[in-house]
Amino acid sequence: MKSKFLSGLIFAAGLVLAAPQALHADETCNSPFTAALVTGQEQFMHVWTLGMVGVGDESDKLVTVDVDPKSSNYGKVIHSLSVGGRGEAHHTGFTDDRRFLWAGRLDDSKIIIFDISKPAEPKKVKVIEDFADRTGYVGPHTFYAIPGRMIVQGLSNTMDHGGKTGIVVYTNDGEIVSQHDMPGDDMGGDAYGYDIGINPNQNTMLTSSFTGWTNYMMDFGALVKDPVAMKNFGNTMAVWDFKAMKPIKVLKVPGAPLEIRWSLRPGDDWALTSTALTSKLWLIKKDDQGEWQAKAVSDIGDPSKIPLPVDISITANGKGLWVNTFLDGTTRFFDISDIENPKEVYSKTIGNQVNMVSQSWDGKRVYFTTSLLANWDKKGRENDQFLKAYDWDGKELTEKFAIDFVKEGLGRAHHMKFSAKPNSSALGSTSETYQSLLSN
Amino acid sequence: MTRVNQSEWQVLKSLQKAFRRLRLFFPFLFILVSITCFGVAPLSLLRAADSNAISPQAQSLPLGLPGLPKWVSTVTTSQIELGGKLFFDRGLSFNNTLSCSMCHLPEDAFASTQSARSVGMEGRTLQRNAPTLLNVVFQEMLFHDGRETSLALQAWLPLLHPDEMANPSIGYLIARVKDDPDYVRLFAQAFPGRGIDPMTLGEALAAFQSTLLSGNSRFDRWRFGGEENALSEAEKRGFELFAGKANCASCHTIDDAHALFSDSLYYNTGIGYRALTQKSESYNIQLAAGVVVEVESRYVDAISGPVPNDIGRFAITLDERDRWAYRTPTLRNVSRTEPYMHDGSIGTLDAVVEYYNEGGFRKDRSLSPLIKPLGLTQIERDDLVAFLVSLDGAEASGTQNK
Repeated sequence: MKSKFLSGLIFAAGLVLAAPQALHADETCNSPFTAALVTGQEQFMHVWTLGMVGVGDESDKLVTVDVDPKSSNYGKVIHSLSVGGRGEAHHTGFTDDRRFLWAGRLDDSKIIIFDISKPAEPKKVKVIEDFADRTGYVGPHTFYAIPGRMIVQGLSNTMDHGGKTGIVVYTNDGEIVSQHDMPGDDMGGDAYGYDIGINPNQNTMLTSSFTGWTNYMMDFGALVKDPVAMKNFGNTMAVWDFKAMKPIKVLKVPGAPLEIRWSLRPGDDWALTSTALTSKLWLIKKDDQGEWQAKAVSDIGDPSKIPLPVDISITANGKGLWVNTFLDGTTRFFDISDIENPKEVYSKTIGNQVNMVSQSWDGKRVYFTTSLLANWDKKGRENDQFLKAYDWDGKELTEKFAIDFVKEGLGRAHHMKFSAKPNSSALGSTSETYQSLLSN
Repeated sequence: MTRVNQSEWQVLKSLQKAFRRLRLFFPFLFILVSITCFGVAPLSLLRAADSNAISPQAQSLPLGLPGLPKWVSTVTTSQIELGGKLFFDRGLSFNNTLSCSMCHLPEDAFASTQSARSVGMEGRTLQRNAPTLLNVVFQEMLFHDGRETSLALQAWLPLLHPDEMANPSIGYLIARVKDDPDYVRLFAQAFPGRGIDPMTLGEALAAFQSTLLSGNSRFDRWRFGGEENALSEAEKRGFELFAGKANCASCHTIDDAHALFSDSLYYNTGIGYRALTQKSESYNIQLAAGVVVEVESRYVDAISGPVPNDIGRFAITLDERDRWAYRTPTLRNVSRTEPYMHDGSIGTLDAVVEYYNEGGFRKDRSLSPLIKPLGLTQIERDDLVAFLVSLDGAEASGTQNK
């Protein structure tokens, strides 16, 4: 299996060399291998939405919103595609050609692949139902494109629903190429997983660590009151030799390190993450000896109050970072010009709870959604579920529109991805697999 | 963290992968998992090569256990194989996510050390802690509240409960099982002339669970095997307290020739009433090793779903004397099945002993009269805990041959 992965990487490396512009990430948080950047005005927003009991058809769905200010439908839901059941819809990721959007469900481990070549009308083209049965991993979380391949990070496993898990490499057609356990005891790791971030220049892949199915599916209140379960969170990040797909070092990062953001500024070779439980920003950078190290560089809010930092979004110039803290519903902008000393310079309450943040490439537009996990979201009247769009002038967020996902009968709004109207020259060709699926 | 270590994890993982590929080698899998991970080694299975051999596990019972119930004598290895496949099959839940083994983990003595209360369909928090299934074959009444009368029938409650495996109906699940050619063949082999029906499915699971035996602990070797040095002096003192001053053995019974450490009766220990009436104003939450913060309960309440009330066996018998009463659990392998009590609300054996030493939750007027302050010293409490640890099946703790 590994030989297939290596041949894919040789191909990947070739593309990197042939197309240096691909080294720049797209709307700041996608894989650096993603093509067809939306560097201008984004036109559509796809929101991977959790079905919610008592709301609409109660099913997980991909919701598409028109976000082009010049459109008559600006700020409106223009399409909704239900996929059936509530499987804990969570994150999505584009294939390298940006034609397909892979969307994962953390409960039943289904991966749904949407064709977004006509972004106003996404189509479901394939469902991978055997992720867990084939790999022993549960909870496909991060979908990270490399040329011709999708790397999928699991969160849990079929043995005990704990946090030990691994990474699966798929072809863009959805065939498994290889799988790789997260580093465990022998390397000082906890074998947990969460996010993936690749720095091609350094041939370095970073992974972070969250928790297993039992915890991420559990009622959040029951969880924090359960000392046994609270021991089952990740406390490490792993540094991998990307081309070899081999972990080379484990970094101690206590308190559930989540999203990983490499600086996009040319010449920078550092990444940031935030720890959800201990509320800190961590810098991952090589030391003077060339060894990767992790160090806490800032608190996020008041850690003693567990603000629970969740999604983070780095600006394209590597000088600013949005950090959402879920429990106080606040977004915070950090000046990271001095990466060793990040400073919170702005904050705004977005709602009773806030989870995901996405910004346009130029940083002038920022979007927020609310749902963290179905059973971690706040209960009762505080359970806001919305998409909100803001303009950002560097000093103040100004709300442009808000969509109440409950009132609209949609559900819990989670991961967001931008797209633009078709530009066939920028999109990859449809694979034979999908061609046949589309023709059926 | 689960206590399975990395090497055990790798073994379990590779076994599971192999099991998925080789659907017919369950006896081998079971024996390997048993020996490797929890040490309850039904070695008699190795001798039962004939798939229709009768009652293989009855051939050699671990030291300290009573004779098996009569129904086990008709169990065949093909039924055990089938039951094992069913037990570990996540496809038996509505969304292919939960199997019996996800709450009754082999590496956790077929209980779960992952959470206080089990987590079910779509993450719903269940009312109670998952009890161990080791030696469950000896239980005449099942569940913490004794609501079911046989293992074969018991299986259908979690299979159908909307908060657990959530199958919408019996017929729905039977039809799914019938769609699997492997199951059609295995049921035909295990239940000639009967095939797949609600009873055979339950009987197969019961057959498998009848093999989950654990005995031969250091206590057994000392008490029933005549090995004077099998227990340390502290553990022997702990036993004297267990059977004497601490009065544990009045419910966690020890017979002359064997011990199940349960009288199969129901008692109000005060835990249920405490959960109902005692509200914390704040919670100490451990965020990472050495990082604990105190959080006001109003913040925790905002992220907490409603917790259903649990009145114990009273819900089954409607007898007032059964309010907040739960079945006496076995204590075998107890050191491996934390957290404790029916709701997993006590995390350590030390804390359990302390709870009983203080006489339980004294505000509960219907507290069992057997529970009263014990006046144990710290040394006595330590000895008592040491004794409890000696109840681990010797193989189960992995220490027998070290």
